[in-house]
This record gives sequence, C-alpha cells and structure tokens, in this order.
Amino acid sequence: MILVVMDHDGNELRKGALEGVSRARKLAEALGGEVAGLVVGPGAEGVAEKAKDYVSKVYVVSGPDWEAYTAEKWAKAAHAAAEAAGARVVVAPASRTGRSWTARLAVKMDAALLEDTLDSWAEGDKVYATKYSFLNRVLEKQAGTLPAVISVKPNTTPLAEPAGAGTVEPLAVELGELEKKVEVLEKIAETGGKVALTEAEVVVTGGRGMGSAEAFQMIEQFADLLGGAVGATRAVIDAGWRPYAEQVGQTGKTVQPNVYFALAVSGAVQHQAGMNKSKVVVAVNKDPDAPIFKETDYGVVGDVHQVLPAMIEEVKKLKGA
Amino acid sequence: MKYVAIIRQVPDGESKIKVDGGRVNLEGATLILDQMDEYAVEQIIRLKEAHGGEAVVVAFGPERTEEAMRTALAMGADRGVLITAEGYVDPVTQAGALAKVLTEEAPDVVFTGGQQADWDSQALGAAVAEALGWPSVTWTTAFELEDGHAKATHDLDEGAEVVRVALPAIFTTQQGLNEPRYPTLPGIMKAKKKEIKKIDAAELGVSGSKVEILEQQIMELERKQKIIDGTKEPAAAAAELIKLLHEEAKVL
Repeated sequence: MILVVMDHDGNELRKGALEGVSRARKLAEALGGEVAGLVVGPGAEGVAEKAKDYVSKVYVVSGPDWEAYTAEKWAKAAHAAAEAAGARVVVAPASRTGRSWTARLAVKMDAALLEDTLDSWAEGDKVYATKYSFLNRVLEKQAGTLPAVISVKPNTTPLAEPAGAGTVEPLAVELGELEKKVEVLEKIAETGGKVALTEAEVVVTGGRGMGSAEAFQMIEQFADLLGGAVGATRAVIDAGWRPYAEQVGQTGKTVQPNVYFALAVSGAVQHQAGMNKSKVVVAVNKDPDAPIFKETDYGVVGDVHQVLPAMIEEVKKLKGA
Repeated sequence: MKYVAIIRQVPDGESKIKVDGGRVNLEGATLILDQMDEYAVEQIIRLKEAHGGEAVVVAFGPERTEEAMRTALAMGADRGVLITAEGYVDPVTQAGALAKVLTEEAPDVVFTGGQQADWDSQALGAAVAEALGWPSVTWTTAFELEDGHAKATHDLDEGAEVVRVALPAIFTTQQGLNEPRYPTLPGIMKAKKKEIKKIDAAELGVSGSKVEILEQQIMELERKQKIIDGTKEPAAAAAELIKLLHEEAKVL
C-alpha cells in the first residue's frame, strides 16, 4: 500500500495533491497494493469527498486539535494513517511545510527520505528518485531503502485523473506530549499574491533596479494580467519593498514556472538557485553584461520603466484579440 | 543555559562545481560554513551574550568539517563536537547520531540552517528534533526567549506565523533572523585553541546510509539568449519580445 498525503486549502485539493496521486499510482504499480489518501485539518471532511475520487480509501484526521498546522501534528497524523494503511511508502508534497513534517515522519518510520524529488520509481526492494542539489546546479539520482518517504517537487508531475469512488474513513489520532509543545499564537497573512508563488505557471520578479516599492505596482499589474505571481530578489526584500514571502532564491522560494520574468534583476547565483529550472526565462535589464542574460531565453536590454509599460500594453492587446 | 548550533561545511555558491565519473568532485572548490548555518551560529552567540551560558557548535561530516567549525569558533562559539564520517550519509541517519550528542550536551535551544547548500535538503533540523522527541520550528525569522519558552516567527508556504514553543527545541534559520558577524583577527587566534571533540560516527551506531547517491551530473539548461536592444526604442523592443513569447515560445 502507498499512502499519499493530500494538501488542500480547506475546500479544494491543491495541485500538489494530484501530483502526489500520480506518483503514488506509479509506485503502487511497481510495489503492488493500492493507493490510500490522507487529508488533515480544517475542512478535511468536505475535501475527503473530492479526494475519494482519486484513491481507494481516504483517511480523514480533523477536529478541534487539528485546526492549526504544526509539523509535529502532521507527522503524527501521517504516521497513524501509514500504519492504518500498512503503507511502505508515503508520498507528500515538497512544500515548505511538507518538507518539515516529512523529515519527522521519516524518523518515526525509520524510513529513507527522498526529498523534493523530480521523479520517483520503485524496483525490487528499493525506491529511486531524481532531485536537484548544490543550489539547483546538479541533478542527482538517489536510491532509498524501504520503508520510504518521498516528497514531490511542485510542478514536476502530471496531475492525476479521477479513478472512481473510494471510501472515506475518519481516523482518530490523539495528540501526545510532543504535539502540545508548539502553540500557534498568530497567523501573518501573505500580502499581495493571489497565486501561490511556488505553484504559479508565470512568475514576474522585480529586482533592485525597479528602484522603489511603488514601481512594483507595475510588476503586480503585469503578473495579474498573466495570472501569475509576484517574486522579488533578496535586495528588494532587504530594502523593505516587498515581504519575505515573495523572495525567490536560495533563502527564499524555489520556482519552476512555464515562464519566469526577471525584471531589473542582475542574477546572482543565490537568486538563480531559486529560478534556474524555469522552462522559459525572460529578462529585462539596462546592463547588457548582467549575469541574468546568460540564464535568459528572451531578453531586452533597456530601462524597465520604459519597457515594462510597453509589455503590459502588448499583452493587453494580445488578450483582447 | 546552553545553546547549540548544528553546522555543515559546503562549497561556496560562487565556486564552480565539477563532476568526475558521475560524482561531484569538490577538489579545488572553496569550502565554507554554510551561509544558512551562519545565522544559527550568530543566533547562539547572541543568546549567550544576552543571557549567559555556553554556545556549542556540533557537526556531522568529514574531517575537513573542522575548518567550518573553526570559523564558528572564531565568530565566538565556545567549543565544538564533530561527529566524523567520510562519504554521504543521509540527514535522517545523521539525525540519529546528532540526537545522541545532543542528549549528552542537553542544550535548551538548538539552531541549524534552513536548507543545506550541498544537499538542497531542509530535513536536518526537523529530523534531529524528532529523534529527540523535541518540537521544531522551521524558517525562523525572529526569536526571543521568555520564561522557559521561546517565541518565534517563522515562514510557512504562504505567509508566516508566530509560535510559542516549549524548550528544549530546534529552530531552523531563515534570512532576516539576524546579520551574522565576521570573525575578528583576535577571534580567529582564540579559535585555534578552542576545544573540538571528535567522535567517530561508528561509535554512535552509524553504519551506512538509508539513501545512496547513485549518480550526479551538472544540470544547466541551454538558454536561447535572444537579446533585443531596447535602449533606443523600448516600445518596439517590448512588442517584439511579447511576439516572440506568444508565437515562438508559446508561453503567452
């Protein structure tokens, strides 16, 4: 049996959940058994009714103890579901939170952890995966022993199609001493972005050359027009123009969109670590020698304050057509 | 109180990566204290300066990790414990050995890097915490001690949250947590005499790794590098760019 932990927003499954189902199905074909799912947290009962179209059985962990996420609790729920399902492999999204609780789960299960994987498969009594390393500059192939915990890098895997109705099974999980040691005092909402940066098909990033926080209104407008998310470089975050949540790079988020716009971004290695796997990279920079142009498919040498407004007009024309 | 930073030595992001025979070869690369771990070292030194106690650096890695540990000692940590093992050992297996050392050291607060610049992994801090039965907080951007607890702000997938955590606990770092200091010359001199205790990983029960690296290759995507000069006619350049993205790249 393979267990897939299915991320959701309280109403709908996230894309990462359906990528996870695809991975779990492939592993189940090789290792035998079926795919079970787990949904945890607020809204889990409702989401389970959607999740059951993708897996043979959905475990639901919810209730007053499960309102706020903590890594300790999610690892505990996943462990309980893995035991209930008799799962030898657990698949989960490699979101920031996912990568935190899967590390705990791997220790609980004494399992091999294959983290942030691009692809995964099983052969004999081992699981295999590919992932990036060395700040996204190296592609490596790993082998892990069973049991295993595999986290799935966003936007790497086709979304699963529904496969008929499974069953829903509530799972009672008691919190232990450890799970009571973290208390969430306050949530700080992410400002700006309507689209999750790590799941966006289009990312529009502004660098220090934007010149001011106000200039990012143009970036926002362009991103909105394309249904994309806004990104920023470390320099922009340090200047206080944008929130940390929007940072792309080594210490920020890693994105792999269809198209990445680097506007007035010079392109330091630390920034490239967060975006160099984008399918198409577009750059606008007034410095023809900016390192970003080496990482660029389509670029314009010019002043972003003149080029970007024109780009916005051109896209409007295109959308209107 | 006692504070521990778990550190690693990694290649500098700016230095070139070589691959020989399907494996990364670090010969000739500049090896440094992981920049995400610098925040951890800075934080435990600040805690010691503010509240007194001891700041200890702990690492799992090859013998050469001592160099990175000396950097941490030069910044101001008091002493180090290095668990030595050559070759790749996965973070979950390392966590078991690190947990044994931390049980012995019995710190109140542990910091480590949010992501390692060689493995591109985020697992170490949470895995060590789980092995100890301690809570953990990842991507910490603000931290303060208050009456036997810690109050921390940390990043989630979207947004952030403030948590109150019972100690002992492990925190992983995020940019913004602090501004790491540079080692001073007297600091570097003093660091040479500070104690580094070495323990063979085998003595802590480590035999092999649950994850094996089979093959590595340099992964740089070929970029088209079609660059348009928009210095004179920015509107025309923008039109050409959008046309290329629509018709050739088909991404708009």
